Parts: sequence; structure tokens; C-alpha cells
Amino acid sequence: MIALLMGACTKDFNSENTNPYQISDASLKQDFNNVGSFYPAMMSQNNAGFYGDQISENLTYESFTRHMASASNFASNVNNCTYYITWNSYWGDIYGNVMPKSAQVLQIARPTYPVFTEWAELLRVMAISKLTAVYGPVIYSDFGSLSTTVHYDKESDIYNRLFAELDTINNVFSANTAYTGIQNFDQVYGGNIGQWIKFANSMRLRLAIRICEVNPTLAKTQGEKAIKDPGGLILTNADNCNIPLYGAILPLARICYQWTDTQMDAAQESFLIGLNDGRLPQFFAKCDPSISVADHPGFQYKGTRNALAPIDVPGGAFGKGVRSSKFSFVNASFNTATSRRYMTAAEVNFDLAEAALRGWAVTGSAKSYYEAGITQSFADWGASGLSSYLADNTSKPIDYKDPLVSPVNDFKSRSTITVAWNEGDTNELKLEKIITQKWIDCFTNTLESWCDMRRTGYPKVPVNYINDSALPYGVIAKGAFIQRMPFVQGQYTGNPAGVAEAATFLPGGDLIGSPLYFVPANAVNTGTGGTGDTNSSAGISWTNF
Amino acid sequence: MKKRLYLILVVLFASFSGVMAQVKVSGTITDPDGVSMPGVSVVQKGTTNGTTTDANGKYTISVSSASAVLQFSFVGMAPKSEVVNGQSVLNVRMAAESVGISEVVVTALGIQRERKTLTYASQQVSGDEMMKAKDPNFMNALSGKTAGLDIKESASGTGGSTRVVLRGAKSISGLSNPLIVIDGVPMVNNSQGGAGMWGGTDGGDGLSQVNPDDIESISILKGSNAAVLYGSQGANGVILIVTKKGKAGQTQVTFSTSTIFESVSNLPKLQFEYGSGGNGENSWSKTKGNYASNYVKNFFQVGDNLINSVTVSGGNDKTTAYFSYSNTTAQGITPNNDYGKNNVTFRSTTKLNDKLSISTNVMLTAEQSNNRPANGYYLNPLTGLYLFPRDLDFSSYKKNYQVFDKGRNMYLQNWFENNDKQSNPYWIINNEPKIDITKRAIASVTIDYDISKHLKFKARGNYDYAVKSYEERDLAGSDATNVGKNGAWSYRKYDDNLQYVDGLFTYDNKFGKFSVNAVAGGSYQQTTYGKGFSLGTGTNILLYPNEFNFQNLPSNVQVQSTLASREIKEGLFANAQIGYRDMIFLDLSGRNDWASTLALTGNDSYFYPAIGISAIISQMATLPDFISFAKVRGSHTTVGNEVPYNVVNPQNTISSGGGVNRNTQEPFTNLKPEMLTSNEVGTEWRFLQGRAGFDFTYYDIVSTNQFISLAAPSGLGNYTTYYVNAGKITNKGVELTIDAEPVKTSQFSWKTNVNYSFNRNKIVTLAQGFNDMRIDLGSGEGYTNYITAGGSFGDLYVLPFARNAAGQIILDPTKGTPTTVSEPVKKGNLEPKFSLGWNNNLEYKDFSLSFLINAKIGGQVFSHTEAMLDAYGVSQRTAQARDKGFMSINAIQGTTAVTQIDPATFYQTVGGRNGIMEPYIYDRTNIRLSQLALNYKINVQKLKLPLKSATFSLVGRNLFFFYKVAPYDPELVMSTGLGNQSLDNFNLPATRTYGFNLKISF
Repeated sequence: MIALLMGACTKDFNSENTNPYQISDASLKQDFNNVGSFYPAMMSQNNAGFYGDQISENLTYESFTRHMASASNFASNVNNCTYYITWNSYWGDIYGNVMPKSAQVLQIARPTYPVFTEWAELLRVMAISKLTAVYGPVIYSDFGSLSTTVHYDKESDIYNRLFAELDTINNVFSANTAYTGIQNFDQVYGGNIGQWIKFANSMRLRLAIRICEVNPTLAKTQGEKAIKDPGGLILTNADNCNIPLYGAILPLARICYQWTDTQMDAAQESFLIGLNDGRLPQFFAKCDPSISVADHPGFQYKGTRNALAPIDVPGGAFGKGVRSSKFSFVNASFNTATSRRYMTAAEVNFDLAEAALRGWAVTGSAKSYYEAGITQSFADWGASGLSSYLADNTSKPIDYKDPLVSPVNDFKSRSTITVAWNEGDTNELKLEKIITQKWIDCFTNTLESWCDMRRTGYPKVPVNYINDSALPYGVIAKGAFIQRMPFVQGQYTGNPAGVAEAATFLPGGDLIGSPLYFVPANAVNTGTGGTGDTNSSAGISWTNF
Repeated sequence: MKKRLYLILVVLFASFSGVMAQVKVSGTITDPDGVSMPGVSVVQKGTTNGTTTDANGKYTISVSSASAVLQFSFVGMAPKSEVVNGQSVLNVRMAAESVGISEVVVTALGIQRERKTLTYASQQVSGDEMMKAKDPNFMNALSGKTAGLDIKESASGTGGSTRVVLRGAKSISGLSNPLIVIDGVPMVNNSQGGAGMWGGTDGGDGLSQVNPDDIESISILKGSNAAVLYGSQGANGVILIVTKKGKAGQTQVTFSTSTIFESVSNLPKLQFEYGSGGNGENSWSKTKGNYASNYVKNFFQVGDNLINSVTVSGGNDKTTAYFSYSNTTAQGITPNNDYGKNNVTFRSTTKLNDKLSISTNVMLTAEQSNNRPANGYYLNPLTGLYLFPRDLDFSSYKKNYQVFDKGRNMYLQNWFENNDKQSNPYWIINNEPKIDITKRAIASVTIDYDISKHLKFKARGNYDYAVKSYEERDLAGSDATNVGKNGAWSYRKYDDNLQYVDGLFTYDNKFGKFSVNAVAGGSYQQTTYGKGFSLGTGTNILLYPNEFNFQNLPSNVQVQSTLASREIKEGLFANAQIGYRDMIFLDLSGRNDWASTLALTGNDSYFYPAIGISAIISQMATLPDFISFAKVRGSHTTVGNEVPYNVVNPQNTISSGGGVNRNTQEPFTNLKPEMLTSNEVGTEWRFLQGRAGFDFTYYDIVSTNQFISLAAPSGLGNYTTYYVNAGKITNKGVELTIDAEPVKTSQFSWKTNVNYSFNRNKIVTLAQGFNDMRIDLGSGEGYTNYITAGGSFGDLYVLPFARNAAGQIILDPTKGTPTTVSEPVKKGNLEPKFSLGWNNNLEYKDFSLSFLINAKIGGQVFSHTEAMLDAYGVSQRTAQARDKGFMSINAIQGTTAVTQIDPATFYQTVGGRNGIMEPYIYDRTNIRLSQLALNYKINVQKLKLPLKSATFSLVGRNLFFFYKVAPYDPELVMSTGLGNQSLDNFNLPATRTYGFNLKISF
């Protein structure tokens, strides 16, 4: 009897054990928030959406591409930047946030809400296409499996699957261009399905260009499909895909201004000052007046070399020394940025320029797309001096001089390109110009530049001065560049058979020197190169013409 | 049934009257201070003939013969036996003691039992013992006084929280803390926030809110065997506090004042001879200089701690009342750190008639801590203080910790550089104020109804309510890694409350050779912790500088409603103790719990039993004369340990960006309670009329169905974390208490008492299929606290030197720096191997001297502070190495043996944040003079003072170490959670305290 009485008292237990300040699926049904409300959080930087933060982006590919660098010998000068893998968390950003949440959202959306369903699939395409460019094989088709071994996809399969997903996305979006259901939740395009179609086509083109060396047939098919799709491409800045920061500060601005952990890379100084680039003051703030800019007196900007030699000897625990606050920070306006670039009209135009070079069916010429790319980029970044820039056929990247500890960190520019298009140039040189301009435009959105660097060897940025690469992560030959990030430790303990199998998909196993699928076998800069800062020209042999 | 009961009673009374009244004895019973004691039990030995003293401490009893023996007993007092020997007046002065054999002790639910009947280990500490060296947190004064109770203070100054563990940690995700009970009712002991590697400040706990002056005695029920009636919350043992009551007949006013000083006893060994040589933040110059050295020592001040309290108690036959007021003010050892507390307690008991009485108890506390010291890297004044480059002028930074910035038209921090790990210490203590406020009321009412002489009913209700707030206001100009350019504001305000109701029947009777003590009842408890809101602006930019209010928040700061935990627990329980001829006692208990945290699982109702037996050998057999008492006991218990709140089916959260963050923890609807099976055996012996004895316990506790959170390997299912019920953790240990009174004369006595305990913790298995899995209980840089199958709680993993087979340290072939391996290696355990407490009390006339020596033997600790000091070149050893010019090393570079290495090369590789931490592991062993008190009982009669008694004492705590290797105090912890134990990262240094107490009774 008493037990029964007690049993009756347990009926409130569930509500007692539920946090009233969390929001239940039942509550979310109001205003149909039960599907859409999750999309902003999946994209949001606050929740580690598509982008990484300091250790997953700034100290990995944003440094590998020479967009940003640390002026100090932090962490005893042995860290990701010197090719000893200390932080490796981009994997966790994607699998901790975008993938499981989208899997649950897909369960809710499918099949009742086809546009939401494909929108979620598109978010996954955006996430996985970045993730595979960092690690190579990743978990995609087997995601959500409940078996003890979760299988990775081979990279070739990943690209096929991404293209197939983009097909479905395009079909559903094209059939629902008047659908308004996502308006309340879409802070990228305000619910404009037509713009999402343009974005999806541009994604297809980006991925086609990425694999154009290793699978030219598929690349051409997919690239042309994107180009001629009636939905169109992102060709003007009004259609750019910028992901809102949802109130968060741009991580790069925080890392720079609040933590003084990252500064302008010396390569940026070499290219932007050398080419007299109007985007320089939009990208960066002036350096401390105490820093010598005698090598380019008209430009009070100074970058620092990545993976630099030990300078503030004795380096010490934090090794920050006095350098960190003296080199150029990013432009202070990044502190109030409200969104991040994911895909710009400039990038699409540069892709089209490369497509033209490769003989894909395009309406314009390589020159027209190249110049349109620069034009869109200048407009997007609010830079001036476009016409003289486009016509400049004399300015070249400059050599770098470290103002504090010259000549240890000095380097000679490996690139000798100019900006002006010259139809008489070789395709190789034209490609170098296109990719170099794409690299400049990709500032704050640097992943595709890392793909380009590995794929084409451009732009010709300085190599590491210090190279601490070592087992178990693998050795990068002196003068060569890192090729990928290793799989994460959690996979070796939690999914050992899956990750062991994935390692066999990579030519050199799970090492940071293993080239990814999209890197052609004859790419010169994948294994060996020159030595130190005297490294001579890299670049690939131009075989696919 | 009822009729039959009456019949038995009538028969019993009749039999009494038949043998009554040959000799009449009367007298007055007094306490050690000479104050008369009401309520003392007086029993003729070997009979049931007994009485209690009246309001004036007087008794009258008729005994069967002139040679009868009278036994006097009272809670917290040593029982006393006196032979009547024909006297008609027998006055007795009781002695406060805690090692008696037939004393009455308080057990679970406040039930009083004779100590000898217990089937499990329990230990009592009297209020007087606790008050010998007053600490605002009474728990700290228990350290070393009982076997098996491990107490670690947080390194956070007065009012900080305390980690209390009985018989080792038993749960990975749940709590291992014992339940704290005041007068039978559970109290909230909810610690909020602790420091970690990167910083933070202890948030205090509920213990400091109890007025130590109100404590009459403390009983420690060490295992679940003793605490089974409290159900799941007693699974980790119980600390029972009995508070003081008014005594009938006499109005007594007591005033006590205590002044205690606190000073730093142990600073890191620093060097002040080598500066930075103008090279940034490190003091790695090789040129010797002569630099200011006293600024570190001068930063700390002598703290003080003033406690004044007054108690008034008294009453008549019907009503007794007790009132106390206590005021505590304290200054910490760091500037601007202070603490204040006011306690008011009112307790009264009224007998409405012969059968019914009502007691009420109200305890009110208001407590405020300002600038409680931080630990860890961030916003901690000690980092900048210790690491400051020696050749710069500290005094100018001290004087001008802020300078006027014309650009911003305001004062900003002045420090030699911007750095995330260090700020100007004086900026932090002046311009980053932290305020911690607690206001708490505990109110309870108890109704006792004596249904019959043998059957009694008690009902209790209790409401424990606390409002807490914490605020930190970091001014613009504070370290930019943590604080936005307009300042940072952290604010949280929340309520903790607990409602508790129980009702229980107790039945005591004797049937011939059998005695029965039985309890049956039910309880209902509802707790709500952390209900309120919180916000933290961090590096988000406030609209206007240095304005800390809601209006000034930027739109991207989320103010969060919080609810840390909310639970309902219901229980039905019964216990029966059956005694046979006062020599064998069988104890049977059972309890069924209903816990809301297991809602939806179908496992929210669970039952567990307990059985115990004790046999008093000295009653069963004739033992040699020198053995006065011998007992063996054993018990077996199973207790469920409930799971945390809101893990069965968590929902989604609204993110600061306005979207909804979908929950990624898998709903866990087949969750089961953790189960603790505990076996203990013990034996207790007294020798030489009770002047010596020992109490030995061996226990073996097995925890299963551990509630473990696992990170799903990427791609497995649609969740990132899930829970399993798995794992097996064992704790086996020994507790031994030996006490003796080697000297006992009318003028001089010496009582001594040794507490010894050890606990062996073992993680037998973790989750099935995850045998090589490691659960990270808290890691900092260069340090990890993993648990693995086969390991134990507190296993310490660090990166060691890479060595070749010959043991030589492998140096980097080009740089010549020591190298490490890729994975951290287990290098010790943070728990001591065993603990010893040696407590002594010497009395000579009106003087008494007591001292307590505490020893923790074995184990390892880890100091990140030292690693940092080395890397910066500010530790003394780096100076000594530079004096010498090299360091000896047994190393190999390539194929060349190396015997000497440059100190800078060595320490900058080995030390620092992520260096090779092997050299920073120290032996944990420490032996200290934990407590010293000299009391003088002022002879008030002789001095003709209008007082009842007066005592003056000189006291000291942690005065010095007899032995300590670690560069800091291992018993002073960074935080009181399961991880981060015995870790030092710029913790507040260890202190010694000394002062005096004066207690006067009117």
C-alpha cells in the first residue's frame, strides 16, 4: 500500500528531472522552430560550426598558407607551425557539431520538409568538403553507424558523393524556388532559394577545380555542369556566401587583438607590398612605429615569418617576448565584423579563369575571369587603385627582411609574378597568377588556398625556417610543405579498425607528408624541394593541356 | 496487539516494584567545568533500574544494595561508574571524552544507540575538541582526529571549501562526498565553482556557514553500513552534527573570543640575482646583479581572524532554549582579501505535555568574502609576482600599478608587458574585485510524541534556503586574454534550497534476554541547487567602460537562466536491532528509494538491504582481568548511489547567436543507480579499566554500475556523448584507532590517541569493450589525471624524459635539448599511501596542553608552479645552476655521451607550460604539527570572579612541518573536485595560524 502511495508520488519525477531552461522538441514545434532553429547554431562560430578557431584553424592551415603567422617562438618553438602536431581539433569541431546535429535534424526534416532536408545536406557538403581537405579520408557515408567499426570513405568516393549530394540539392531547390519556409532561419541569403542554388553550383565548381589534376574527366564534367546550370554561379559580390558570426567576434580578430598571438605573415608583406596591392590596408593594421620598414618606406606594415628561427633567445616559457605586439595586426575593423566569407564571387571567377585555361566550356576568357575576379575582390574588400593594379606589369613580390633579427629570418621571394594579364605567358605562369590572386582574396577564408598550394604549388610562399616534423606524425623534408593533418587520437582508441583502414587509403599512411587525393603525383612541392630559405621554384609540371 | 503491549508493561512495572528501594542515593552531576548537567542517565549496573538528572543536574535513585554500582552516561561524555559503597550522596563530575565503550552515540537519523551495540565503525569528536583551534570552517578542525576521514582545504583562504572524503573516492561521475547532517536532517553542502589550471576561484561550500560554537559533538559514520538509513545520499558516509541545546534549570551565558593570526609558512624558493638582461620576460641573464628581493615576501601580509561569540541557554522543566550569536571577521594573507560572517542560532524545545514535545531550530548566516584568492594562470596576482624580471623595478610597478592613458582618458594597467599569464599583482588586487555573498537560513521543527514508554514517534521538517551571489568586476585595462577592452563582468546569483520531511517510529523494549531497538519510517526530500542566472562578458566589449550592470551589456552576451540540479528523493526504511543478553546484537536494515534523477528509466525505485552483527566477547567469556571490554563486529551493506540530474533525457539549448543548439548527448533511458556493496569487519578492545584500547576496522567496498560518460568516437551514432552503466571500482582499507591514558594521577594526566588509516583504490574495469580507455578527470598543461582499468583515482600522468636503454636522457641531435616521448606516462598517484594522526592531551592542574601531529605518507604531487619558475629563470635552483655554470646530466646526443648541460637550455626545455614534467613530481609525504593548544582554566572561585568558569588558551595550527619534500603544502588543494587534487599552479602559499581564545561562562 505504502509502496503504491510512493509510486504515485513519482509521477512528477520526469518534469523534476528536466531542466526548465532547456528547450524541448515539443516547445520548438511552435512557429515550426523544430527544424529550422538548429541551422544557425550548426553554422555559428559560437558552436564551432564550419570554421575552426585558434588551434584548429589559425595554428593549422591559416599558418600553412602563410596568411598569418606568430611573431614569437611560442610553445618552445615546437608546434603545429613548425610541423610538430601539437593541436589537432578541426576534426572535433565538425564531428562534435555539424555532423551529429545535422544527422538529428535530417531525421526530423526528412521526408516532410524537402528543402530543409537538402539545406542540411548542403551544410554537410560545406563541412565535409573542408574536413576532407584537411585530413583526406573522413567518415561521411558511414556516419551514424552503430557498429563497432565506423568506416571512412576514400577521398575519390567522397568527391563522388559530394557531387551526388549537390545533384539532389540542386533538384530539390530548383523545384522549390518559391519556398519561404527557411526565411526565418536563413541569415545567409534571407531564405532566397535562388541564391542557395548559385552557391551550390559554385561549390560544385570549387570541388571540380580541386580534383582537376587527378580526375580531369570527372572534373570537367562536373565543372561544366556547374557552369551551365540555369541557376547560375556566384559572379557578383551580392551573391557571396557570408556566414554570420551570430554575435561572436571573428576568431582571427580575437587571436590578434585580445591574445596578440597572431600577426601578418611575411609572405603577405612580400606579395601585397611588392604588388602594390590596394587590399593591404583593408587586411592589416600598420605595425608599431618602432619597427623598421626601411625596405619599403612607403608602407608602414610588417609581417613576421612563420615557423621562424629562435629569435628572442632565451625564448622562455611563453616565448612571446617583445615581438608579438609590434608586427602588423589584422585591420581593426575585423573586431566588429558580423560575418565570415565562405565563398566569394572573386573565388568563383578565379575558378572560371582556371577552367578556361584547362579548356572547359566557358563563355568568357581566362583574362576576363581573372580580371573580374580581381575586380570583385577589390570591391568586396573595399580596396582602391584597381585599374592601375590590373595594368601593373612591373611590380613584383619583394624580398623579406626581419626588422629585429635580420638576417636569420630573411628570405628571397620565390615568386616573380606581376599582376597584369599577358596572353603571351605560359599556362603555368597564368595559373600562378590566378592562384596567387585567389590566395590574396581568400584572406580569412584560407582553406581553399591550402588546397591550391598543395595542388599547384602556388603561390610560391617561403618554406619553414624551422621544421620540427618527426614521428609519429611523419617527417616533412627540408624545404617542403606539410600535406595534411593526422587522424585524431580519439579514433585510434575509439575506432581503431576504422582509422587503420583509412590509413591504407593514403599513399604514405597516416602521416603529415602523405599527399591527398587531389594532389597530382608529379607535383614537385610535395616531397622534396630546395633547402631553407633559398628554396628555388616549386610548381608542378603542366601536363593536362 | 496494543492490549498485549500494555500487559507487558504492567508486568514489567510490577516486577520493578517488587525489588525496589533498599538504599536511596542522590547527588549532582557536573560537567568538566563544574556546571551541573541535566539529562544524564543514571543506571544501576546490571539492572534496568535507572533515572535521569533533573534540570539542576540532581538525581535520586533507590538501589538494591549498598554495594551497587551506578553508571552515569551522557552524549559526548565518558561514561562513569561509581560504587555506592554505602554513601547516600554521590556527586559526580563527568569528563568529556570520546572513546568510551558504553557511551550513547548518535547514529543515522539522529537515533541514539549505545556505542557497544554498533555493528559498524563510527567515531565521535566532541565540540570541545573541535574548538581547541577554531577554524571558521569547522570541518578543517577534524583533520587527523578520526581514522579514514580525508580532509583537504582549498587554497583559497578563509571561508573556502573543503574536500571531505571517507574511505576513498568511489564514483567517477557521481559524488564521493559524505552527507552532512545537522540534528538528523541533511544539510546542503553544495560547492560552487573551483579553480583550475588556467585560473578561477573557489566558490566556497556550505560548511563554513555553520557556527562552530553551536556544535555539541560530531559523529562520523564512515561507511554506507552505518549510513544505510540515509539511503543513497549516505552511500559515502555521513558526518552527523549534534548542536547544542538549552539545559533546564540553569541559565548559562558563555562568551568566547578568538584572535588568530595567519602568516605565510612556505613560499617557493626564488632567486633575485639574475635578471632578464633586457631580454623580455625571462630572467635568464648570465650576468649576476643585485636586485630587490623582498617584494615577494612583502606582498603577503599577516592575516587575522577574529571570532566573537555569545551563547545563552537555559530553561525550565517545560521549555529549554539556546541562543547564539557569532561574528567572524578575517583578513587574508593577500591584500584586500577579507571575510565576514554573522551567525544567529535559536533553538528551543517545549514539552506540551508528558508525551508531546516540539523543538524548533533556526540558524541564520550571512557571509561575505571579498577577493578570495585565485589559483592557476589567469588573473592571479601570484604569476606576475613570482615571474617578474629581476632587473626591472618592481617598486615602481607597485606604486604605479595604473597609469593615466591620455588616449582613453582613463587609468589603465601598468605592467612591463602584455601577457595572458601575468598581470601587475597590485592591479589585480585593486582593480579586479571579487565579491562572494551567501545568506542562508536553516529552519527546522521536530515533534516528538511518546506513544508509549517503548514506542515513540518523531516527525521532522526542515527548510534550508540560501541565496548566493558571486560577482567579479575586472576593470578596463585588465589582461586582454580574459577581459574585453571596456572591462569584464561576471555575475551569478542563485538559490540553493532543500526541503526535508521525515517521520519515524522507534521502538525499544526488552523481552527477557532479548532487547529490541527498532525504527521504521519514511522521508521526502526535495533539493534545488543553483537556480538563478549567470552571465560573463569575458572578452566581449561592454558598451561603456567600467560600468557593471545589465544596461551596459552588449547584445552578444547571453544572460543565462541556471538550474544546476533539482531532485526529489523519497525513501521508506526500517531497521531493527535485536540484542541477546547484552552480548550479541543483530542489526537488520532495509531501505527503498525513489529518485527523480532516474525518471523514465523504470529504475527509479530501488531497494537495498543491510545486515550487521556485533558480539561482545567480554560479556560472553571470562577474559583476563586486564581486558575490560572486547567486541567484534561485521556488516554487509548494499546502497544505491543516485545519478546526476538531467542526464536521462537532456533537451536543447538556445545559443547566444539565437539559434538552438541541438543536444548531442544520447538519451539514456535504461540508466541504473550506481551500487555500492560494502563489507566491513571490526573489533574493539579496552584494557586496564578502559585506560587503553583500540578499534580496528577493515572494509572492502565495491562500486558497480558506475555511471560513466563516454565520448562517442566520431561517426558512431548521431551523438557525441553517451552514458553507460559499467565499471567496477574497489576501495579496501583499514582504520585503526589506538588510545591510551598512560598517566593518570589527581594532578596530572596524559591521554594519547593514534589514528591510522589506509585506503587502496582500484579501478577494476571501466566500460566493457573500452578496456584501454582512459577517462580524463582533469588535466592541465603537462599533467593529466587519467583513470584506466587497473589504475586508481589520482593516477598522475606526465611527459617523462626520453631515455635510452642505458637510462641516458636522449638529447635532440641538433639542438642538444632533452627530449620527451609522445604520450604521457604514469608517474605516481596523488593519494597518500596511508595517513596517521597522533593526538595528545596533557593535563596538569588547571593547565592542559594538546597537540596533534598529522602525517600523510607516500604518494606523489606535481607542481606546475616550479616548472614555470624554472622556465622563467626565477627559481633559486636556476641561479645555483648558473653560479656553477652548468648542470650535470646523464644524457646522450646522437652517439656522444653528455654529462653537462647549459642551465638555460635545460630548464627552458624541461620547464614551462608544456615541458617535460618529470622533474616536477615530488614525494607527497608530509608530517606536520597540525595543532597545538595550551589551555589554562582560570580558577574563578579562588579569584572570586563573578563567573562560572573561564578558560584561556593559546592555539596554533600547521605551525611547522617535521618533514615535507614538496615545494608546497600537498593538503592544500587547487579545487575540491575529483580532478586537480594535490596540484599546484600558482596556488596561494601554505600558512600557519596562531593566536588565543578566551571563553567565559556566567
